[in-house]
Amino acid sequence: MNILQQLINGLVLGSGYALIAIGWTVLLGAARLVNFAHGQLYMLGAFVAWAVMTKLGVNYFLAVPIAVVALGLLGVVLQGLMLRPVMQQNLTSLMIVTLGFGYIFQGGASRLFGGDPERFVSPLQSAEIRIGEIWFTWQDVLTLVGTLVLFGVLWLVLNRTRVGAIVRSVAEDPKLAQLFGINAALVYIGVFVFECAAVALGAGLVAPRSPILTSMGFDEVILTFVVVVLGGIGSVTGSLIAGFGLGLFTALFGALVSSAYTTAAAFFVLLAFLVLRPRGLAAR
Amino acid sequence: MTVELEATGLSVRYGGNVAVDGVDLAVPTGKMVGMVGANGAGKSTLINALAGWSRGTPVVRGTVRLGSTSMDGLPPHRRAAQGLVLVPEGKGIFAELTVMENLALVRPPADPTGRHLFSMEEIHELFPRLAERRHHKGRMLSGGERQMVAVSRALRAAPRVLLLDEPSAGLAPRLVYELLETMRKLVDRGLSLLLVEQNVRATLELVDELYLLERGKVVARGPAQTMRNDPRILEAYLGSLTG
Amino acid sequence: MTFRHLANPLALLLAALAYFVPALAGGSPVAYGACTTIAILAVMSYGADLILSYLGEVSLGHTIFWAAGGYAAALLSVNAGWSGLPTAAAAVVVAMVLAVVLGLATLRTREFVFSLVTYAAAVVAMEIAFNWSFLGGSDGIVGIPPLTLAIGSWSVSANGNDQLWPIAWVVLMGTLLFIHRFRHSRLGTSALMVQMNPDLATALGIDARKVRLGVFVASAPISALAGWLYAYQRAYVGPDMFETYFLVLMLTAIVIVGRRLLLGPLIGTALIIVQQTFFSIGGDGDKIVLGSVLAAILLLWPRGLVGLWTVLRSRPGAPTR
Repeated sequence: MNILQQLINGLVLGSGYALIAIGWTVLLGAARLVNFAHGQLYMLGAFVAWAVMTKLGVNYFLAVPIAVVALGLLGVVLQGLMLRPVMQQNLTSLMIVTLGFGYIFQGGASRLFGGDPERFVSPLQSAEIRIGEIWFTWQDVLTLVGTLVLFGVLWLVLNRTRVGAIVRSVAEDPKLAQLFGINAALVYIGVFVFECAAVALGAGLVAPRSPILTSMGFDEVILTFVVVVLGGIGSVTGSLIAGFGLGLFTALFGALVSSAYTTAAAFFVLLAFLVLRPRGLAAR
Repeated sequence: MTVELEATGLSVRYGGNVAVDGVDLAVPTGKMVGMVGANGAGKSTLINALAGWSRGTPVVRGTVRLGSTSMDGLPPHRRAAQGLVLVPEGKGIFAELTVMENLALVRPPADPTGRHLFSMEEIHELFPRLAERRHHKGRMLSGGERQMVAVSRALRAAPRVLLLDEPSAGLAPRLVYELLETMRKLVDRGLSLLLVEQNVRATLELVDELYLLERGKVVARGPAQTMRNDPRILEAYLGSLTG
Repeated sequence: MTFRHLANPLALLLAALAYFVPALAGGSPVAYGACTTIAILAVMSYGADLILSYLGEVSLGHTIFWAAGGYAAALLSVNAGWSGLPTAAAAVVVAMVLAVVLGLATLRTREFVFSLVTYAAAVVAMEIAFNWSFLGGSDGIVGIPPLTLAIGSWSVSANGNDQLWPIAWVVLMGTLLFIHRFRHSRLGTSALMVQMNPDLATALGIDARKVRLGVFVASAPISALAGWLYAYQRAYVGPDMFETYFLVLMLTAIVIVGRRLLLGPLIGTALIIVQQTFFSIGGDGDKIVLGSVLAAILLLWPRGLVGLWTVLRSRPGAPTR
C-alpha cells in the first residue's frame, strides 16, 4: 500500500466530506435545525445537474450552478413551509418534518428521474494527473480548491462582515436578535438556502465520481453527521479539519483494516463522542 | 405636552395566569417615567409586552401606540425599527460577539425624522470605557460594561422611546447611579424613557413620573414629587431595602 | 382517552370483533395479508410510541429492536432449528440487552440530541448487519421456516397469512393490553411524573435515570416481537429492515391520530397500510404520500387528526366544549 497515495485519497475524500457537510453545520449552528433531508437534497442536486445536461444539452460547468440555484429556490420554499416551528424553535418536530421531506424527495425523484443508475459526467473526472506512483484527477483538484475557497469565503463572511455577525447573533439568541431589529425569520431562510445551495455544489463536484441513483443520498451524507459533530457544530474551521481527518481515517482504515466497516467505525467514534460529551451538542 | 408612548388596557396572560391586568400607561415626550413594584408584580412582563417581545408565549391584549402609530400586531424587530426600543432584563448583548460587532448589528434608521441619531462619537462620549473594550467579546466584559453596551446599542437605533428593564440588576450601587444619571442626561436632552426598576430610591430621585405596579395592576401613579410622599411607595422602598 | 373507563366486556368485545376483520373484509389472501401486516407494523410502532408518551422523546432507533427481533427469529430458526416460542423469547432478550446498552448511552441526552444518537446507533447497526456475514450480510437470511408454536406435544404451524393472522392478532392484543396496563404500573406512573413534575418526582424518591432506562428497556421487546413476526411472514430478513420506510411509517402512525391515545398507532398504521394496499399510486407515489402526511401533520395539525377534529368542532355555530 502506497502511503502517499492513501494520503492523497484521504485528502480527496476529506474535501468531499467537508464540502458536503458545510451547509449542514451552518444550518445546525445557526438555526439548530437538523436537516434529515440533506442526503436527498444532495441526490437532487446531482440529478438536477444531470437532467439539465442530458435533456437540455447544457455543459457541466453551467449545469452545476443551475443546480445550485434550483436547490436554493427549493430551500426558500421548504423554509417557508417550516417557518412556524422554526420560530418556535420546536427542534424535534422540525427534525421529523425534514425526515418526511426527505422521503418525499426520494419518491418524487424516483418518479421524475427513474430508478436506473445514471452517468453524471464531468469532463474533469477522467482527466488524470500522475506524479510518479500516485495519481488523482482534475476533478479532485477542482473539489479540493472549491472546498477551500468556499470555506475561506464562508469564514470571512461569518467573522468579518455584518451579515455574518447577524447570523451568529441569531445562532446565539434569536429572541434577543429580534430586539436588535433583526428579522430572525429572514436569517433562517437565508441559512437554509445556503445549506441547499452548498449541498448542491457538493453534489456537483463529488457525485461525478460514481453513477448516480435516486435511491442514493443516505450513504453519501451520513458521514456528514460525523464531520459536523466531531468538528463542532457551527464551526467552519472545525468542519474543514474534521472533514479532512475523516477522509484520512476512511482511506487509512479502509486500506489497513476493512473498507466495508469504515462507516460503522466512523459512526462508532461518533457515538462514543456523543455519549461521553453530550453537552457538545447542547443548544446554547 | 405630547405623549410619545401610550398603552391602553394592556393585559398579558401566561397560560391561565394573568400577569398584567388592564394597565393604562403613558410616557410623555422628553420625560423619564419609572415603574416600581415588588418581585412578581408584572413589571418585566409589562415592559416586554410594550415591545411585543417575550421569551415565552404570552397572550397579549390591549393597544400600544408610539406617537400616532399603532404598534399592535407588529413583531419586536419592526417596533424597534419604528423607534420603540427595549433593553431587556438580564442578557442584553451577545456573548460571542465583540462590543463592536454588537453595536454594528444595529443599523441606524434611514429616516430619523423626530428621532435623535446617536453617532458612535456620542456613544463613546457617554461611555468612554467602551472604546478600550471594542474588540472584546461580550462574555469577557464585566456586568457594568455589558449594560453600557446594551444601552449603547439601543441608542444606536435612534429610539423615540427607550424601554429599560432593571438596568441595575447585578450592578454595584455606584455603577447603578452612574448609569441612571447618564440616562437622566439623555432625557434632559429630549429622549423619552420608561424605566422598570427594583431600586426604588434611585428611581424616585431621577424620574419625572412614577407608577406603582402590584399584582399586574397600577395601584398608584403620579408626578415624582407627589409619589415621594405616598405611603405605598415608602412601603415599596422599605421592601426593596430588606427584600 | 385510554378506554380505562370502558367496562372490560366492551374492550373484550372489540378485541373479538377485531379478530374477524379480515374475514369480514372478504377473507381473501390480500385481506389477511393486509391485516397481518397492519398488526405487525402497529406493534412495531407501539414500541416507539412508548418512548414518546412516557419519556417525551422521539426515538429514531427503534428499527434496531425491530431488526433484532427479526434477525433473532431468522438465525435461530434457520441455523438452530428453534421453534416459534423460543425464538420469540430470544428476540425479547436480545432486544432488552441492546436496549440496556442504548439506554445507558442515551441516559444523559435529551430531545434532539437523544434523537440524533438513536439515529446514529441505527446507522451503526445497519452497517453491521449489511457487512457481517454471520448476519447474512447484504443478502440477509433466507429460508425461514413457517412459524411453529409448540408447547409439549401440542403444536400449530402457520403457513400463509391466513394462519399467521391469529398469532398476529394475539401479539397485537397482548401489546395493547401491555400498553394499557403500563399506564397504571409503577414504572409508567413514575415516568409520567418525571415528565410532568420532575421536582415532585425527585422529592418522592424516584430515580429519573432508572425510570428512563426502564421505559427504554420496556419498549424494545415490543418492536422486537413485531420484527420476530415479520421474519416469519416474509420468510426472509435482511438489512432492509433498517430502511427509512419503517422509521417514517412508525413516526407517522404515532402522530397522525393524536398523542397518548391507546388505539392511535393502530389506527394510524391501518390508515397507512390501507392506502398502500388498496389506494396505491405506485411505490414512488406512496413514498410521496407517506412523507407528505408526516410533514403535513407536524406542520399543520401537530395534535393529529384528533386535534383537527377538535378545531373543526369549535368553529362558530358548532357547540363549544
